[in-house]
Amino acid sequence: MSAVTPSEREPSAVGPGVPDPQDPEAAGVGTAEPGAATAGPGPLVAGAVLLLAGAALLAMSIASAVQSGVTLGGPTLAPIIVTGLWVVVALAYLAGRIRARGIGRGIPMTWRTPALLLVALVGYSVMLKYTVVGYVLSTMLFVLVAARLMSTRPLRTVIVRDLMTAVGLSLGIYLLFTRLLGIVLPAGVLPL
Amino acid sequence: MDLVSGFGTVLSPQNLLYAAIGVTIGTLVGVLPGIGPALTIALLLPVALRLDDPTGTLIMFAGIYAGAMYGGSTTSILLNTPGESASVATSIEGYQMARRGRARAALATAAIGSFVAGTISTVLLTFAAAPMASLAITFRASDYFALAVLAMVTVTAMVGASLVRGLMSLTFGLFLGLIGIDSLTGQARFTFGVPSLLDGVDIVTIIVGLFAIGETLYIVSRLKDLPSKVEPLEPAAGGFAWLSRSDWSRSWRPWLRGTALGFPFGALPSGGAEIPTFVSYTLEKRRSKHPHEWGRGAIEGVAGPEAANNASFSGVLVPLLTLGIPTSATAAVMLAAFGYFDLSPGPQLFEKSPDLVWGLIASLFIGNVMLLALNLPLIRIWVKVLQIPRPLLYTGILVFATLGVYAVSGNIVDVFIAFAIGVIAMFMRHFDFPIAPVILGVILGPMMEIQFRRALLLSDNDLSIFVRRPLTLILLLLAVAALGLPHLPRLIARMRGRGDVQRLSFGDED
Repeated sequence: MSAVTPSEREPSAVGPGVPDPQDPEAAGVGTAEPGAATAGPGPLVAGAVLLLAGAALLAMSIASAVQSGVTLGGPTLAPIIVTGLWVVVALAYLAGRIRARGIGRGIPMTWRTPALLLVALVGYSVMLKYTVVGYVLSTMLFVLVAARLMSTRPLRTVIVRDLMTAVGLSLGIYLLFTRLLGIVLPAGVLPL
Repeated sequence: MDLVSGFGTVLSPQNLLYAAIGVTIGTLVGVLPGIGPALTIALLLPVALRLDDPTGTLIMFAGIYAGAMYGGSTTSILLNTPGESASVATSIEGYQMARRGRARAALATAAIGSFVAGTISTVLLTFAAAPMASLAITFRASDYFALAVLAMVTVTAMVGASLVRGLMSLTFGLFLGLIGIDSLTGQARFTFGVPSLLDGVDIVTIIVGLFAIGETLYIVSRLKDLPSKVEPLEPAAGGFAWLSRSDWSRSWRPWLRGTALGFPFGALPSGGAEIPTFVSYTLEKRRSKHPHEWGRGAIEGVAGPEAANNASFSGVLVPLLTLGIPTSATAAVMLAAFGYFDLSPGPQLFEKSPDLVWGLIASLFIGNVMLLALNLPLIRIWVKVLQIPRPLLYTGILVFATLGVYAVSGNIVDVFIAFAIGVIAMFMRHFDFPIAPVILGVILGPMMEIQFRRALLLSDNDLSIFVRRPLTLILLLLAVAALGLPHLPRLIARMRGRGDVQRLSFGDED
């Protein structure tokens, strides 16, 4: 991979940075719980979803226990304990969020890119499994699409770099795995 | 002496190569943000199985774990965004040093401190392992149950900023661990009628989902507002190994104190390296003769935590090798790796496969020397690695993640499960739920259930077995006490009449 000078670099996205000791904002001063979830309805929705999922799973566990009986050493006890704990903890989380409502830092989020990336991932794996395109071509295509989705710079400035990565990565992995490690990958339409 | 024969095992060309590959990959993934030792080992598991060389593979994995500890410091010093959570404490002073043109000194004290700590703590491991293993022989099922409870509780209580969120993560992991056929009775649990769930959800699938997919989705959901500047290396100045005389004299005590903190904390079920690094940071800050430098690049703030995180790695190996109890996410994956080779860590391992155990321990000494070479003279390579454009880096992670789950199992259901877990993990990161307890739940949950039921079988369904045996009872009481541990600083502060002290809490391990 060619070295890129710092001025051409993309934003390095590495998760939340470490608080700068000289920056009182970054240390989370003034929030009840540093690093807590965002304000707004998000945590409440998350809590509700957790609670519902837990309740459904608990119901499943109880149904199965009723069907085959519960004994201390049997297989139906652990599911009830785990899902029961799930419900209790989800309730505690939801209660905490309701009390803390409106407190906390907002982190701006975009849902479009992760959603599109997920679609690309699903498309990629379906292509691998159910078509004759093969590993190398599917991977090239996926690399180009994924890199484009995540990039913040215009296509013409990165297309050469992206193409080189796509070809190098897909061919490199294919040859390494099939020739050296003996793991079969779908060859597909390419005469490899 | 067992260690001597261990060196005999390691010094074969093939095992040396495994160690070299391991520490190089480890440094690479330590430097790279978004990919850590747990994910790397999980992705390499299927490949490793092909190689069919348990000793070599585990030497490589240990090298990856140790290398990631070294590599993580480079990223935190030059980029202010730690490559690994264990390096968060390092970045506070380390980045300030780099900004003031002392990047080389910071990198050197980190690398040499890691070497000192790694070597000393491996000596400690050498002497602690055999006695621990013979002690572990006396452990019964009820003790193992209590030990698993203790490990789960401490990790959950200490990782992340909130006990509720830690418990929620743990519960999710316990649930994932329940999926599949019950090993004692053959009853299917939570399989939702999907045949491929009968075997349970593979640990590789879970880790790929939680770390590779989850991390990438989370990052792209907030791609635009993150920093990007890598601090340049200044031209090499005088001094031995880039450290001036005063740097050396200010570094060696923090190295030793960091080692003394890191090893026991790693060995305790406390979630790996985060706690000792922060304790070391606080300790050095309090003891410092140069208080005005703190916040502007005090070298002690790099030397101490870096020593602590490397020492904790050898500490983590003590319960992993002698009891089969993982105390960090990466250790949990290594435990799974042992399982893939039909090896079960614990006292029997020392009797059945002494070559492997002592070879592994000996490889840590060799690996530390290799890592010192990789991280001082060859530091420029890793600075280049930091400059890989993020879109290509994360695309690469996704390609390897898909490869790790699909191409090897050939089962597309596994891939979709990994994606689904990835979406959940993205929301977990967004709402600040810690990730490590999920993995420990997946690994420790089934262990706990089996030991619980085994203990009951042995005692004819008499629950008092868990309070009659003193060791079991002590471990269970410790678990209860551990729930209160994060609140200890606040309680002490309140007793002394101060109010505004934060509770102990730490980052997450990837």
